[in-house]
This record gives sequence, structure tokens and C-alpha cells, in this order.
Amino acid sequence: MEATKHVKTVCGYCGTGCGLVLEVNNNRITKIRGDKDAPVNNGQTCVKGAFAYEYVHANERLKYPLLRKAGKLVQATWEEAYDFIAEKLTHIKTTYGTDAISLFACARSTNESNYVTQKFMRAVIGSNHIDGCNRT
Amino acid sequence: MFGSGFPTNTLDDFYDAKVLLLMGSNTTEAHPIIANRIKKAAKQGLKVIVIDPRKIDMVKVSHRHLQIEVGSDIALINAMIHVIIKENLYNPEFINQFTVDFDSLQKQVERYTPEFSSKITGISPEEIVETAREYATSGNSMIAYTLGITEHHCGVNNVFDIANLALLTGNIGKKGTGIMPLRGQNNVQGAGDMGCLPNQLTGAKSITDDEYRLRFEKEWGIQIPSKVGDTQTRTFEKMENGEVKALYCIGENPILADVNMNHTRKIFENLELLIVQDIFLTDTAEIADVVLPAMSWGEVDGTYTNTDRRIQRVRKAVEPDPGIKEDWEILCELSTRMGYPMSYNNSQEIWDEVRSLAHEMYGGISYERLETEYSIHYPCPTEDHPGTFIMHEKFHQENNPTGWKSKFVPVTYTEPIEMPDEEYPFVLTTGRRYESYNTHFQTRYYAPGVKVKQTEETLDIHPLDAGRLGIEDGQLVEVSSRRGALTVKAKVTEQVVPGLVFMSFHWREVPTNVLTINEFDPISGTAEFKACAVNVSIAK
Repeated sequence: MEATKHVKTVCGYCGTGCGLVLEVNNNRITKIRGDKDAPVNNGQTCVKGAFAYEYVHANERLKYPLLRKAGKLVQATWEEAYDFIAEKLTHIKTTYGTDAISLFACARSTNESNYVTQKFMRAVIGSNHIDGCNRT
Repeated sequence: MFGSGFPTNTLDDFYDAKVLLLMGSNTTEAHPIIANRIKKAAKQGLKVIVIDPRKIDMVKVSHRHLQIEVGSDIALINAMIHVIIKENLYNPEFINQFTVDFDSLQKQVERYTPEFSSKITGISPEEIVETAREYATSGNSMIAYTLGITEHHCGVNNVFDIANLALLTGNIGKKGTGIMPLRGQNNVQGAGDMGCLPNQLTGAKSITDDEYRLRFEKEWGIQIPSKVGDTQTRTFEKMENGEVKALYCIGENPILADVNMNHTRKIFENLELLIVQDIFLTDTAEIADVVLPAMSWGEVDGTYTNTDRRIQRVRKAVEPDPGIKEDWEILCELSTRMGYPMSYNNSQEIWDEVRSLAHEMYGGISYERLETEYSIHYPCPTEDHPGTFIMHEKFHQENNPTGWKSKFVPVTYTEPIEMPDEEYPFVLTTGRRYESYNTHFQTRYYAPGVKVKQTEETLDIHPLDAGRLGIEDGQLVEVSSRRGALTVKAKVTEQVVPGLVFMSFHWREVPTNVLTINEFDPISGTAEFKACAVNVSIAK
């Protein structure tokens, strides 16, 4: 048994940005409480923020890339997945132009991942066809 | 109108405001902790005016509830502007010094008398006049809104009119005033600010700004197209007509979340290449050509931007499965594979690149500072800058030294695209429920022992309508629109008014969006999730 770890973070649900303290045992989140030091929520939490965290450890989480082969999604390695995407995207880009490729970014991901996402779209694909669910 | 798409003030300002117009926001269920703040402020004297077609929980702490007809916001706001001008409740000096096009606003609202707008909104002329007076004369009035304002075919005009109202009365640029859109997702503000929008770069500056774009081109060593890209809605159109061949979809489930689901599915199947990067096999992932497994919250490190422009640290708590990767890591590896090498050792390195490129916004917000200060409101250009609590303070500087003037944008009321008729006599409006989140992949997994009250979708219907149709609470009903039909349990509740029914979009078993209409705001591309016509009958 490892000792209980306490990790301060920010809630991943709505845009309020409540500070949380996560209790972690044996690499599992076992309890969440509101962080009293957090300026937004001063220790409060809602039902989602405090209790709806088991999805992180759900068995149904994706654990490896999937590639469609003969109509079915089957397990693939990262190498295979990257090769497939790189080849397909390059082909579409050279055949139809950059306007044939669009990207929907993730409003749940970090600022850092979102920065890299739009850099990928603008620098690698060469297009501004990137949007999120900012409108929906 | 104010030159940026940011929330103008902070969540602390509810305590300094005297009047709050809470528009299209079911705060208790969608933003529970913000609701607690507003309730606390109400106890201390804040007059909360709830403007919502439903009798939502916030009505309990409200000074007044304007239970308006769905989609009639502009009729209401224009009438308030009409009253404020007629009764001289605005400050002509402020208008002169800081605004342009007041005349056209005045002309535009001329016909929106309280009596005229009363017929559209269902609100009495007296209540419209009272609300206008309270908002204009309190000294500090604030407006907060959610998707009840933006998810309409006229969503952008709704927001313009909110800004007209704030500007007319000078309720902008000082504490306890301003406009606060309450954002629904943890980092929807941040994703947009980082440049994940077709029209802006990191730091929320326009892609058409040549000088700013050049800064990024130099750093990245490439050329960036100066032409604004396609919105999600435009992309859907181009998927339908075959112009868009490939879509890369990260952490989104548009099949279930977007309007007119049967149509959405069809156009997704048109694609030559659908890449989905997510944490679960969502409905959208199921039809993808390739699915990439990503890390989730709890496994990633970095920052989020909340609904009041606050940058805060999100920290890794658990080690993820060794087979999965973080979003930025996947994109870097793919990018390198495609001939543009990108690599970072950690999220801090990426953030420091953001800080140097968009220094006007984030220059002073280092990870080190976030460790000690917890959160910092941007813009924060330098390490010794405290962060910005109130935007647009220029509106209250004497003699307007910057010369900045804000333009009124008069707008016209237009009714929802699909109004109820004999065949489809109910208005369906959609939204979120307290315990669930979006397409519900995460909120299926509550901690053991937690009793969840709403475990399935319901059609919320008023007792009068239910009685008339012989529908009892819990009975299965069929709901149909011109686009699709589904079966769902009825929940008889006075939260809705007669003629109005409500559903959320959380359950794939009852995909509400087979009913909704694919009509969009022409500027933002936002869909009209909040209004379509449906029929309700007892299920056979």
C-alpha cells in the first residue's frame, strides 16, 4: 500500500473552474473535496465535481489505437495509426487541397494541448479550418 | 462592440452589483457553484431578475421572474432600451464621449414599445418598464447569460443587444457591472483563446491581423493563411456537399451533441477520413476510420481558463494506462511524422511558448506564479502585473484619453425558425441537467454509494398539457418533429409553461437531437438548440 497522495487541481466539468483536492490511493482517485484555498469555490463542490470521477478508471476507457479494417475497428499500434493518418492526410491535402481538411478541437483539453492542436492545423495542414464547440 | 470576446468582469462582482439580469441560464443545474454565489449575493441585497421561459430554481431567490416566450429576448431588450431612452434614464455625456451610432439605435427601438413587445414576449408592459428602470438606475447592473441566449438562430444578435443595453447605461468597465457569459465547459474559453477557432490566433487576436500573424509565422517558420477558416457549421455543409474529405475530431461527440442527428450521421459517413481522438468509444468514434486513445482529466498536466478569464493549474493525479497519450503528445508525433518536427518535454514548455507569443495576454502568468497565487486573470503582460479584473475601464476615464468609441449595433427581433402549429403544437427547448454532463460518457461513472436522482431522460411537460393529453407522470410518450421521433418517459412539472416541453441531451438511449432543427446563426454558426416544434402523444 502506498501512502495516500493529495493532489490539487481544477475541476474538469463546467467553466466555473473550482479548485479540488484529489485523494489518490494506489493510483486511483478515491475521494474529492473542494479546495478551501481555491478562490472560485472556497471549498464548495457540486455533485459532478465531487463524485463523478470514476470514469477516469472505467474499464471502457480506450487503451490502444483502433483502425478500421474490412469494415471493423480493430486494435492497432501507434505506429500503424500514425502511418495511416499521415498517409491519408497527405494524400487528401495534395489531391484536394488544404480546404478538404477540418479539425474540431476539444474544449475539455488543456490550454497547452489546444495551443499545439491549432499549431498542428496551421503549420502542418496549412489551414484555419479549426473550430471547437465554443458555439454549441 | 468592445473589441474582444471575453467576460468583462469577475465572479466576485456579483457582490458589488445591485441588479443582475440572469438570462437563459439555469445556473443551479449548469453552474451550481456560481448559483451559490448569486444566491449569497441575493441575500445581501442583489436584485436578481431571472429571464427564462422555465420556472428554474433560481426563480426562488429572484426579485422578479420574466417568464418570456422562447426566443423573444430581442423583443424584450429592445423594449427596455426604448423605455430607457424615452424616460431619459441614460447618460447623454457618456453616450457622446464613448459611443457612436446612438441615433440608429434610437431609431431601431422606436417601434418596440412595451405594449408591442409584451405581445411577443408574454411579459406585461408594466414589468418591462419596471425592469428597464431597475437595470438603468441601480448604479451597478450586471448581466449574466448562458446558452439560452446563444443557442438560437439569432444568437449573435441576442448578444449584440445585451451589449447595447450595457453600453447605453454605462454598465460596463467598472466593478459590479458588465457582461458575463457563463461558459459550459472547463476550458471552452481557453480553447478559443489558444486559437482553436477559425478566425483567431493564440491570444485571441484576429487571423487577419497581418502584424500579429507574422509574429507566429516567424516563430513557427511557416506561412499561415490570412483567410478566416470554416466554422463547425460551415464544415458540416462542406461535408454534405463533399468538399471536406477529412475531419479530425478531438474530444467531441458531434453525432450525439449536434442538432438533427439523423442528418449529422449521414454527412459523417460521407467522409473519406474520420479521425477521432477521445477517452471513450463515443458514438462518433464508432464510425471513425481511426481512433486514438487520449488521456483524460486526472492524468494530464497544464492549465485551464475558466469563465472569468482565470488561468489555473490542472495537475496530474494518477498514472494513465501505458498505451495512451496526451493530446499534445499525439499531435506532436503526428506532426513530426508529416514532416514538421514538433516536440516538447512537458506542458510548461508549451505554456512558455504561449506566454512569449501572446505576451500581451499571458506574459506574466508563469507556472511558478500560479503555484503561489492559485489563479491569475488575463490580460497579464508582465510578471509584476496583478492581472486584469475588469475589462474596458477606458469607458470611465475622464475625457476619453484613448479616443476609443464603441459602436451600437441595433438588431431586429426575429421569431424562432420553426414555430408551433397544428401538427407540431409544442415548443421543445433543450438544456442540461444537474447530475449529468453533455453526452454523458463521463457522468455514467459516479463514485459508489452516490444516489443519482435523474437516471434517464424525461420529457418535462406542464400538468395542464399532460392532463389534456391524458399523460401521467412516468408514462411513456412519443415525441416527434419534422426530423425524427423518439420515445421517452414524461415528467409532469410546473418548471415549464403550457405549450413548452423540455429535454436534455445527455442520454444516447434517448437521443434528443434527432428532434432538433439544423438552423444556425449566420454569423457564429451556432445551432437553434433552444427552439423547435414537436408533437407529443401517449406511446403506442
